[in-house]
Amino acid sequence: MKPLLSALLSVSFLFLLGCGSSGPATKYTVFFSQCNNAEPYRAAQNAKLKELFAGNPEVKLVVTDGQADANKQISQIETALRQKPDLLIVAPLEREPLNAVMGDAMKAGVPVICLERDIVDPNYTTYIRCDNRAIGAAAGEWIVQHLTEKGGAPKGNVVELRGNPGVEGAINRHEGAHEVLSKHPDIKIVHDAVANWFQDEAMNRMSEALTANKADTIDVVYGHNDPMAYGAYLAAKEKGREKEMVFVGVDGLATEGAQYVKDGVLGVTFEYPLCVDKAHEIGMKILTEEGFVPEKIYMMESSIIDQ
Amino acid sequence: MPFDFIQSKRPTGPLIMFGMVLLTVIIATAMTKGLYITPGNLTDILRMIAPEAIMAMGMTFVILTAGIDLSVGSILALASVACAAVLTSSILPGSLLIAIPLAILVALIVGGLCGALQGVLIAWLDIQAFVVTLAGLIGFRGVAKLYTDNQKIQLGSEHAIANLLSTKPVMIGTLVAVTLFSMVLLRFTVFGRSVRAVGDNERAAHYAGLPVPWLKLAVYTYSGMLAGIAGLLLCARNTVGDANFGVMDELEAIAMVVIGGTSLMGGKGSVIGTVFGVFIMGTVINVLGLKNVDSNVQQVLLPVIILLAVGLQLNRKRV
Repeated sequence: MKPLLSALLSVSFLFLLGCGSSGPATKYTVFFSQCNNAEPYRAAQNAKLKELFAGNPEVKLVVTDGQADANKQISQIETALRQKPDLLIVAPLEREPLNAVMGDAMKAGVPVICLERDIVDPNYTTYIRCDNRAIGAAAGEWIVQHLTEKGGAPKGNVVELRGNPGVEGAINRHEGAHEVLSKHPDIKIVHDAVANWFQDEAMNRMSEALTANKADTIDVVYGHNDPMAYGAYLAAKEKGREKEMVFVGVDGLATEGAQYVKDGVLGVTFEYPLCVDKAHEIGMKILTEEGFVPEKIYMMESSIIDQ
Repeated sequence: MPFDFIQSKRPTGPLIMFGMVLLTVIIATAMTKGLYITPGNLTDILRMIAPEAIMAMGMTFVILTAGIDLSVGSILALASVACAAVLTSSILPGSLLIAIPLAILVALIVGGLCGALQGVLIAWLDIQAFVVTLAGLIGFRGVAKLYTDNQKIQLGSEHAIANLLSTKPVMIGTLVAVTLFSMVLLRFTVFGRSVRAVGDNERAAHYAGLPVPWLKLAVYTYSGMLAGIAGLLLCARNTVGDANFGVMDELEAIAMVVIGGTSLMGGKGSVIGTVFGVFIMGTVINVLGLKNVDSNVQQVLLPVIILLAVGLQLNRKRV
C-alpha cells in the first residue's frame, strides 16, 4: 500500500507543479493580493478586476487569496515581490500585520495600491477607499427621514445587526449611524446583536430580537451588510412580522442587495463601491504613463439604492 | 477538588442530567422573565438548532467508534450548494411531489458520498480520522467554493419548496425523526452495539468477528448523510446555497455530543446524552440572545458552560 501511495502522491504533486501555466509573453505583471475570496464583496472585486484587465492583453494579472489569514497574505506578498512585479495591489486583511510587508514593497521600488481597508503607515503609492462612516451616516439619515415620514416625528424602535466587531467596516457603519441617530432621543435601539456578516447568524439573532420585543413594534432593522439584513427579513417573515418594519442594508451588489431592494425585501441599501475600477484606472496610468504621480488617497462615492 | 466532591455524592448519571435540565429551565425562565418557556420560543430554539443537532446525532456514532468527523460543517455547505443548484435548475419538475424527494435525495447522496469517501480512507487505509476529516473540512468546502465561484445561489424569498421545508413542523419534525431513528439504531440493533464495541476495544471487536472496517464506513457515511440533510434544511431556511455555511459547526456538534456524556475515547455515550447537549447549547444561545448579551461575553461564557457540563458528567475512576 505505502509505496503505491507515495508514487501516487509524487505523480499528483508533479502534475500540480506543471499546472502553473506560463502564457504568452506579457509586458507587465500585476499582483493583486486579496485578503479573503470567501466574502461575496471580495469575490465581486476579483471578478470585476479580472474583467477590466482582460481588456489589457499586455498585462498579466495574478490574484492570490489570503483566506482571511494575515500570515498567509504576508507570505503571498513576499512571494510576489520576489518576482519583481510592475504593480502590487493589496486588499489588506488587517491594519497592523500587513503594514511592514507593504513597506518592504515600497522600499523595493514596486508601486503599491492599497484597496479599501487601511494600514497603520502610508506604505502605499495610493490608497483607494470608501467612507464607511459616511455610509453609516447616510443610513442614519435615511432611517430618521423614514421614521419621520412614517410617524410624523423622528421616533421608533431600531434593531441593529453588526458585522465582525473588530473590522473597520463594522465599527464605522455603527458609529456613523449612531452619530445621526443619537441626536433623536425618541429613536431607540431596542436590540443590538453581532451577526459577523453572516446571513444565517443574523436570522437567528433577529428571531431572538423579535421574541424579546414581542409586544413592541420594531420599525427599522439596520444590518451592516445586505446578507444580514436579508436574514433578518426572513426571520421576521417566519413570524409574520415582515410588514411591520423596514430593512436597511449595505453593499448593494447586483445579485444580492440591489436585487433584494428590487424585490421589495430591503427598503434601501447603500452601495459599497468595489473600488477596483479606480484601481484599474490608476494602475494602468502608473504602468503606462511616464512620470504619473497619483493622488495619495482616492475616496470613492457611495450611492443610495432604493428601488 | 470540587468536581471530586460533587461526583462522590452523585447518585446516577440520568438523575444528574434531569437535575441539570430542571435547573437550566428555571434559570433560563427567570433570566428572560418567562419568555424562554413560551412554546413559541422553545420551538424557535429547536428550529434554530436543528441543523447542528442533526449533525450531532451522526457525530455521536462517529465518536462512539473513537473517531471524529471534522468535516460535517463543510459537507453541510457542499450539500446546501448542491440542493440550491437543483432547486433553481430549469429542469426541475414542477410537481412538488417529485421536486422535494429529489432535493432530499441529492442531499443524502452528496453527504453520503463525502462521508463514505472519508470512511474508506479511515477504515481501510488506516489513516487517522482526525487527519482524513481535516482534509475533508478543507476539501469539501473548497469544492463548494469552486463550483459556486464564491457566489451564493439564490432561491428567492418566495421559493415554494424553501418555504415549505423551513416551517417549524418540517424542521423540528426532521430533527425528532433523526433523533428517534438514531436512538433506536444505537440501542436496539446489533449494528448499534457493534459500533459501541469498536470504540470500546477495537482489537477485541475484531477478534470477536465484527466487520470493523464496514462499521466504520457506515458511521462516517451516516454522519455525512445527516450533514447533507442539515445542509438542505439550512439552504431552505436561508433561501440560499452558500459555500460559506456551517463554518465551525463541527465544533458545536462535537460540543453537544461531549456535553451529553459521550467520551471522545469511544465506547461510552448515548443519543439521549446528545439530546441533552443540544438542549443545553440551544438554551444558552437563546437566553444570551434574548437578553442581548455582549457577543464577547458570550464567547467566554459558552466554553465555561461546556466545560462545566462535561466536568459534572465525567465518570472519573480513582485508581
